[in-house]
Amino acid sequence: MKQLTTQRCLLASALLALSTGTQANTFTWASSTDPQTTDPHAVNAAPVLSFLNNVYEGLVRRGRDMSIEPSLATSWSPIEGKNGWRFELREGVTFQDGAAFNAEDVLFSYERASSEASDVRSWFSPVTSVEVVDDYTVDFVTKDPNPLFPDSIANFMIMDKDWTESNDAALPARDAENFATAHSNGTGPFQLKSRDPGVKTVLVPHEGWWDTVEHNLSEAQFVPIGNAATSVAALLSGEIDFVSPIPLQDAKQVESRPDFKVLEGEETRVIMFGFPHEHEKLLDDSANPFTDVRVRQAAAHAINIDAINRVVMRGKVKPASQLVPAGISGFSDANSGRPEYNPDTARALLADAGYPDGFSFSLKCTNDRYINDEALCRAAASMFAAVGMDAQLTTVPVRNYWKELRADDFDMYLLGWSPGTFDAEHPIRFLLHTQDNEKKLGSWNFGNYSNARVDELLPQIQREIDPSARQGMIDEVVKQTQQDVAYIPLYTQPLMWATKKNIDVTQRADNFFILKWVTVN
Amino acid sequence: MTYFIAKRLLQSVFVMLAVAFIAFSLFRFVGDPVSQMTGVETSLADQARLRAELGLDDPLLQQFYRFSNNLLQGEFGYSYRTRQPVGQMIVERIPATIELGVVALVISLLVGIPAGVYTALKPNSFFSQGLLLTTLVGVSVPTFVIGIMLIFLFGVQLGWLPTFGRGGTLNLGAWETSLLTVDGWKSLVLPALTLGVYQLTLTMRLVRAEMMEVMQSDYIRFATARGISYRRLHYRHGLSNTLVPVITIIGLQFGGVVAFSIVTESVFQWPGLGLLFLESIRFVDIPVMGVYLVLIALFFVVINLIVDLLYAVIDPRLRVQKAV
Repeated sequence: MKQLTTQRCLLASALLALSTGTQANTFTWASSTDPQTTDPHAVNAAPVLSFLNNVYEGLVRRGRDMSIEPSLATSWSPIEGKNGWRFELREGVTFQDGAAFNAEDVLFSYERASSEASDVRSWFSPVTSVEVVDDYTVDFVTKDPNPLFPDSIANFMIMDKDWTESNDAALPARDAENFATAHSNGTGPFQLKSRDPGVKTVLVPHEGWWDTVEHNLSEAQFVPIGNAATSVAALLSGEIDFVSPIPLQDAKQVESRPDFKVLEGEETRVIMFGFPHEHEKLLDDSANPFTDVRVRQAAAHAINIDAINRVVMRGKVKPASQLVPAGISGFSDANSGRPEYNPDTARALLADAGYPDGFSFSLKCTNDRYINDEALCRAAASMFAAVGMDAQLTTVPVRNYWKELRADDFDMYLLGWSPGTFDAEHPIRFLLHTQDNEKKLGSWNFGNYSNARVDELLPQIQREIDPSARQGMIDEVVKQTQQDVAYIPLYTQPLMWATKKNIDVTQRADNFFILKWVTVN
Repeated sequence: MTYFIAKRLLQSVFVMLAVAFIAFSLFRFVGDPVSQMTGVETSLADQARLRAELGLDDPLLQQFYRFSNNLLQGEFGYSYRTRQPVGQMIVERIPATIELGVVALVISLLVGIPAGVYTALKPNSFFSQGLLLTTLVGVSVPTFVIGIMLIFLFGVQLGWLPTFGRGGTLNLGAWETSLLTVDGWKSLVLPALTLGVYQLTLTMRLVRAEMMEVMQSDYIRFATARGISYRRLHYRHGLSNTLVPVITIIGLQFGGVVAFSIVTESVFQWPGLGLLFLESIRFVDIPVMGVYLVLIALFFVVINLIVDLLYAVIDPRLRVQKAV
């Protein structure tokens, strides 16, 4: 059956190409990681969500500039008399198997995505119930007023109830595969033609897509290439049309060739150092100097961000002042200054704090998670050493890293954070609120920075409808945490994509690759 | 003979169990699978629940017992990364690795043996010295550097050969082969060359050393005195007597070629077992790593068994059941 639909699509697109006289454009793109699954609710990871955004759609979606726009919902508004949001659904939308989309599918997808087996259930923690009002109206009822809820579900993808249930995939696959792991049926602009995990995945346009088609592709092939040098070679040899990401050091080589171009942008991920706020002792059993704010300030003044940018990051990064980059909603313009680089100030602060001769501590970093992370830490360690803070650097692969941080095995650590909701509330919830497993807050606050006022403000920020009052509270949190030097924000990680010159793509700040914006000229 | 084989087979089961056990006790240090399987927003409670469901909190011995017990019943479990059945994932990847290994071996023999004979017969010629030097460079430079250099020369600069993947493949039943298409062969050349360089050098030097020794022996001198043609002398009398030890060593090396094709497969994005293993390490995919290591142990055991049996065939003294 699926084969037939695919054939019909191919035939249709071939006819279309003949009638309009355009040639068939097959587009091949590569990235370092294969999506682990095609189930939109099983893994909350960028490779999966990015890929599936081409196949499935949510109630809302993000535009080229990350703004929220209507998708399967045409409009949404607060429910009268209750906390929550009412979504008016688009009529006439069909899934790729031809079934019609309606409110039942939204309710079903909510139940599936919020089940225990789902990895995206945290998106629905504010939701108490979902009610179908009529075939094209759905209410998401929340505990408290939640102004950001529509923004937070842009990656909540809608599945067809009948298709999913009849294929025994009513729950996301947790440990064993099910039908949805390697098959898909979304409402999006592309549909899965074939999938060979780890080797090649082929998509073709979904002819019945409801929105206006902007791309001119007849087929799109995805190949994962793990080795960065190999993927750059594959691009330069012409075998693939697009690759993301490319190493910073290869950008020049690609740009120097006439048939290729590099797209540089800024990811929303801020790279920072974290402190052991509540450790009594350092790993070497000496007293923890970082509990003194002057020591943390000294560390911040010791960092020469311009030198790091120039030497380690090839001049491609923007220095960061807070845990989200400028442009993210809730960014605090009032607090956009960074501690200036000044080794003398740093030494004076250390002397004030009682460490005129400095001290030794252990700095823990990843070596395969962020762009040039090991080189960054090496550079930072020498900058700390220059003011008397003798950093003993250990680097570990990311697969071991989080476990060691959760076991408090660090004196200072590297962290990169991208706000999943693209709002400043996100890092407050995960990185600044006191660790609280019951409320599921502060789960990535490894050093357990804790400030009663920040904890008090977080729920208010989450509830506040009035934008200026909300911004006021966020500004207060940012100011407080900058004063406390809760973290040392360093810079925003750059995005580097490379493509053939005749291909136009749109680089979005979340590093998602969106096929519907690809045109081959 | 039957007793010999049975004994060796029984031993091999223990070898595989031992490998599995050592692997299992090391998996704890590879990393935390749960943090790889879940997103950043997944709560610690949900992570803990998943960890318990997967049995990762159980004591090592209990996990090992469960794994080996399932293995003995032919159940390989499901991958943490893709949720596919591990058995199926591995079976799908075997053809790519075997084909790559065999072609690399064939290249190394086809080039290595004649080159070895030549360098033995004309040890002082300019060409011989050049051959010895280049192959020495070939084994000294790390495999991934050779691979990347070949890719940039033949793939990017000259544009003759593909830079990654297997190219066109055909299905012969369950076996997915790239040996029946032109495209497939083009894709195979560079990785096979990269993988074969070490073998080639080894073969060449081995043949050269053996050949030089044989050419000094008395029967060659007598044969020369008898006036046998040089061609027959070199190939019939010389070479065939050097090949027995060469074949033994190359056979044993083949296990290594297949098991350690990891680097080559990663450089060329060659979808074989090695690449699968590498991806599994990155994601702490314990079920796949476990089955892969046991499979490689089996592979080595079987090759060793075959070599032992061949010895017994060649050398009658080894057929004695027990020396008292």
